[in-house]
Amino acid sequence: MQLVIQNLNKTYANGVQALKDVTLTINQGMFGLLGPNGAGKSSLMRTISTLQEADSGSIQLGDINVLTQKEEVRKILGYLPQEFGVYPKIDAVTLLDHLAVLKGISNKGERKALVEALLNKTNLWQARNKNLGGYSGGMKQRFGIAQALIANPKLIIVDEPTAGLDPAERNRFLNLLSEIGENTIVILSTHIVEDVKELCTDMAIINKGQVLYKGSPLDAIAEVEGRVWKKRITKSELESYRAKFNVISERMIGGNPIISILSDQQPENDFESVPADLEDVYFSHIFGGMQKEIVA
Amino acid sequence: MGRFWGSFVILLLVAASLPLAFMIGDLWPTRETERLLPFNLATYWNPFFIFVVPNMFFTGAIFFASGALSRKSIVIYTQGILLLVLYIGTSSLLRDLEQKEIASLLDPFGVRALSFYVQYWTPGEQNTLQIPFEGYILYNRLLWVGVGIVILLINHFAFSFNVVRGSFFRTKAIKDQTNRIRPEETKIPVATQYTNFATHFGQLIKLTVFYFKMVFKEIPFLAIVIAGILLLLVNAINLNELFGTSSYPTTYTILGLLGSFNLFFLIIAVLYSGELVWKERSVNLNLIIDAMPMPDFISLISKFLGLLLVYIVLIAGLIVSGIFIQMSYGYYKFELGIYIGTMYTETLAFLVLYTLLSMFIHVMVNNKFLGFAVAVALFIIFDFMPQIGIEHSLFRFGSGGLETYSDMNVYGHFVLPFSWFKIYWLAFAALLFAIAVIFSSRGSEDVITMRWKAGKLRLTRPLMALIISSVALFVSTGFYIFYNTNVVNEYTNKDEREALQVDYEKTLKKFEFTPQPRITHINLKVDVFPSTRDFTAEGYFYLKNKTNAPISDIHIQENASSLVKTEKLEFNRKNGVKEKFDKFKYTIYHLADALQPGDSVRMDFKTVFKTNGFTETNASNTNVVYNGTFFNNLYFPTLGYNEGYEMSDDNDRKEKKLPAKERMMERNDPRGLSQSLFGDDADHVQFEIVLSTDKDQVAIAPGYLQKEWEEGNRKFFHYKMDAPMCNFFSIISARYEVKRDKWNDINLEVYHHKGHEYNIDKMMEGMKDALAYYSKNFSPYQYRQVRILEFPRYSNFAQSFANTIPFSEGIGFIAKIEDPDKDIDYPYYVTAHEVAHQWWGHQVMEAGVKGNAMLSESMSQYSALMVLKHKFTPEIIERYLKYELDRYLSGRAGERKKEQPLELVEGQGYIHYQKASLIFYALQDYISEDSVNAAFRRFNNQWRFKDSPYPTSADLLKEIRKVTPDSMQYLIKDMFQTITLFENKADSAFYKEKGKDKFEVTLYTTAEKVRADSAGIESPVAINDWIDIGVYGKSKAGKDSLIYLKKHKIIKKENQFKITVNSKPRKAGIDPLHKLIDRHSDDNSKGLVKKEK
Repeated sequence: MQLVIQNLNKTYANGVQALKDVTLTINQGMFGLLGPNGAGKSSLMRTISTLQEADSGSIQLGDINVLTQKEEVRKILGYLPQEFGVYPKIDAVTLLDHLAVLKGISNKGERKALVEALLNKTNLWQARNKNLGGYSGGMKQRFGIAQALIANPKLIIVDEPTAGLDPAERNRFLNLLSEIGENTIVILSTHIVEDVKELCTDMAIINKGQVLYKGSPLDAIAEVEGRVWKKRITKSELESYRAKFNVISERMIGGNPIISILSDQQPENDFESVPADLEDVYFSHIFGGMQKEIVA
Repeated sequence: MGRFWGSFVILLLVAASLPLAFMIGDLWPTRETERLLPFNLATYWNPFFIFVVPNMFFTGAIFFASGALSRKSIVIYTQGILLLVLYIGTSSLLRDLEQKEIASLLDPFGVRALSFYVQYWTPGEQNTLQIPFEGYILYNRLLWVGVGIVILLINHFAFSFNVVRGSFFRTKAIKDQTNRIRPEETKIPVATQYTNFATHFGQLIKLTVFYFKMVFKEIPFLAIVIAGILLLLVNAINLNELFGTSSYPTTYTILGLLGSFNLFFLIIAVLYSGELVWKERSVNLNLIIDAMPMPDFISLISKFLGLLLVYIVLIAGLIVSGIFIQMSYGYYKFELGIYIGTMYTETLAFLVLYTLLSMFIHVMVNNKFLGFAVAVALFIIFDFMPQIGIEHSLFRFGSGGLETYSDMNVYGHFVLPFSWFKIYWLAFAALLFAIAVIFSSRGSEDVITMRWKAGKLRLTRPLMALIISSVALFVSTGFYIFYNTNVVNEYTNKDEREALQVDYEKTLKKFEFTPQPRITHINLKVDVFPSTRDFTAEGYFYLKNKTNAPISDIHIQENASSLVKTEKLEFNRKNGVKEKFDKFKYTIYHLADALQPGDSVRMDFKTVFKTNGFTETNASNTNVVYNGTFFNNLYFPTLGYNEGYEMSDDNDRKEKKLPAKERMMERNDPRGLSQSLFGDDADHVQFEIVLSTDKDQVAIAPGYLQKEWEEGNRKFFHYKMDAPMCNFFSIISARYEVKRDKWNDINLEVYHHKGHEYNIDKMMEGMKDALAYYSKNFSPYQYRQVRILEFPRYSNFAQSFANTIPFSEGIGFIAKIEDPDKDIDYPYYVTAHEVAHQWWGHQVMEAGVKGNAMLSESMSQYSALMVLKHKFTPEIIERYLKYELDRYLSGRAGERKKEQPLELVEGQGYIHYQKASLIFYALQDYISEDSVNAAFRRFNNQWRFKDSPYPTSADLLKEIRKVTPDSMQYLIKDMFQTITLFENKADSAFYKEKGKDKFEVTLYTTAEKVRADSAGIESPVAINDWIDIGVYGKSKAGKDSLIYLKKHKIIKKENQFKITVNSKPRKAGIDPLHKLIDRHSDDNSKGLVKKEK
């Protein structure tokens, strides 16, 4: 099964164009959707999740027209929104069971087993009878993934799931995701490059509603391999470097910036070539000149 | 604190805009100067500073403190509702005379204190006086501002010590334990996903129960429910009171009481329909839920069903409370069927409709707070629709109630229109619901066009079917209702009715005094068909020319109701129609040979009353019903112009450019003197009637039963009166039980509904005692029977026809007379009053001029009061008079035109009933009961059974004057000819012990006497009156008892009395028994303090 998105456009009532002619093909496996906050990731994911209308374009999931056959999509969808809340005075078992009913798990015994397994899987077993109001951010997030896994979804969409998690929680979370069967499309949106690098076989970079890059992380890295240069400069030099070069990232180390720039040749003598990282790809697309190349 | 004062000032500024706007309105150039008083600044700002500012301070302080201390908005909500309960609850206390003071203190907003203070202000005083800042108003304001200050202080100290403490209820953080189970090893089992109908049905049930539980767990919800039930219990203290005497808590009484919960139901419906529509979004769970594979309507419908379940449970709870209240009154006749039949139809339909409407609003507006605002605004608009001319029930959301329940007629004919209207509105609500399903926001789209884009996809076959069928049902029931209310029946709105009134007056007023013959014989055959609510009447009148000139034009006015048709109207001499006013159902017949003075003509007619289909529930006829038909001769043709059809309110008349009019003719108007209170159609008439009705009912009219027989399914009754009677007769048909008794040779009968036996013996006793007293003191009773006939509670009165007294089931039949020291036996009393009308009204008919009711009504009041006086303790009489005083004083406060002295009363009940009780009671106290009776007797002898001219109040006063000693003659002016009030007060009192069993009481009093004009503006008059001075001791039972009571002549305002009594005095006062009309009757007596030498 393949998810094919073609020429998707969406402009909000306030005039913000959230999606500009987005075209993507997503195969089974983990797909990373990388982009800064406000890039349009959530818009895209909500549209795929049947929660938002598109102005034009199409989304096809196998035989299903996502934009019109919403009911069919929802049957095989597991969705974890970027931000969500819970009924604070209800415990995890009750709410998960409730959601399982809504998901269509109508056999009571199966539902009970499923709920228990999911709570175990997400390491919430101990806290299962506690009111969700008392859950920490990580626990809540794990509860979110538990509900997204109800009924073996064929399409899992997780929107910024690692935001706000501490590193240990994040690891556990990503492990969980990676365990999900291979014949499932998992779309993971994030603004954290690491998430994609560690998990995804395929990815897209999106900013300001536009897809800036699509392909595998490895190909992406290959594309900039050998073209990333680094230099430690002083703060006062920053402005002039910015003007002169295609600076894709600035990082402060020990009080002074280290800048990365993208260039086919060594720009200046004291720049050193560094092995390309996915992060460089990301920054190069978000801030760098490659943007123009791709659009052109 | 700064925050508090800041918001307080802003609140005040906002509130100040209201009086400011009124003031601007008053100064506006287009002001209707002649209807308004001159501008006065204080009128606008006094109430603001006395009420608004303290109220804002107090409520602000409470809300601020509770908010700051609890940090929970629900606590604030709950408080608001408790304040509301206190406010509404005090209004029920205010109804009881003894609880008025408590009520005026307890109401946090001071409204009760104000109404307590100004309750007896006459229209003149209301117009001119400013709100006083004294007495209970002052105490109330001080109390609640004080409460506000205390709360602020508590808040100040509690808050400053507890800033770091956080909330009262700290939620415990849950530790995220790592555990022994290794999540990695957990396998997620395969669970089968179903998306069939059964699954969706299961989801619906699950969600319904989920939302139901959710509402029930809400603290504000519980607070509202508890507040509502509290209010219910407060209201249950005084059930259906008349004269401070309760009724039996019959199921319909309790249902009326449960109606006070409807406000809370509405709050719940509006609040929680909104809350549930927004539930997922308010906790931000909506995206997860919305992505679940459920059909689109399930979310909304389960929310609706959840609320429905809440209502069903609440109603069950209310029914249980109702039964509990009945049990607490020792009443065990539980009629579960009526509870269920009313609450689960009318109440539930109201809730369902408002819930669906409110959900629709929330979906369409798609903004929580705006949604609430729109819903509330819409409900207010619904209330105001009639004022802007939208009157028809088809346009008034949720219209069509079950109306009055009657034990006799059960739900009666209201069920049919109720059902149709409810189907109509439910279809409408279903349509709204379907639209809401289409537009409900699923996902993150808020814009209506996008919701429509998504919604179009939801137009599945079932939803389309719902839309089409609800539209079809709505339209077809709408047409059917319209067909019934407007085609089969005649529909008129207020403007049309008023226009017709105006037109009637303008066209026909010229015939008002056209001489007409008078009815002398009535012979009718009336067939009543209760099951179809029809009757036909066929028969004849003899009309006699009693004037001195020939009459050739006979003016016939048919009953204005469109249900009444005159199918035949013939004279037994040659005639033709001279002029016909179809619009007014008014026809002038011309007799070829004029009717000569003293000559008679026979008029044969057939009147048919036919009920077709149904009308709007509030416009339906309640005279001809399934069980308990009661109508009178006004359904038959009458003679000449009917002044009663005219517009009476002077403001309305002015708007229609009609001249202001007097309510009644002057006392010396010869036209008025020539006609009795029953109108100018007849003097006395010979009366004979044959009634028929369904076999299981009894039909009754005035007269003696000649014969009773059955024919097929019908039962026939032939009644005949053996002596002339007045032209006023009732026709009654119902399924009755009869209780019979005899007083001397007179047959006494009480026809009553089975199950309403409670007070029949009291009524019997009332008839006997009344007949005995009146026969002895006034004149013999003219008939050989008295019958009381119960009729349904669509009206609450009893009325005296010749030897026949229809008596509403709503008064008397279910009165609960329990405590002989406290309860006023009004079934007995009303019976005595109605029996008195057989003398005053039937034996002596008075002229239809100003002051007429002083003869029929006031004389009956006096007569009944005397019967009461000989039957019950003086305390009961005093209590009764206290209620009469209260009702007189409140009645005059609400006078719209002008207050008249008793002798010129113009149909003003508070004068001819309430004031008359006080006046005549005082009169017999001053000049003796025998003297008053002697005057009544002479008046009766002189006017008994006389035709025109008829007596007036002047004729009675002439007799009263004759029996009044010279020293008391001034009373006649005070009591009958002017509006005289007293302000008697005991200022201080003490006593000294002068020896064994010898006590000297010293009492300082003030006494003032004022006369009021017709607007209630008072002017002082010199006092020169005999007034009671009384001293109370203690009886053996420990109660106050009079040990000294004597009239003293009082000639100046301030007086001192020294009275020696021979047992220990406790209290002393001036006019301690409230015989004189005094607006502050509770300050007449004072407790005594002992003074040593």
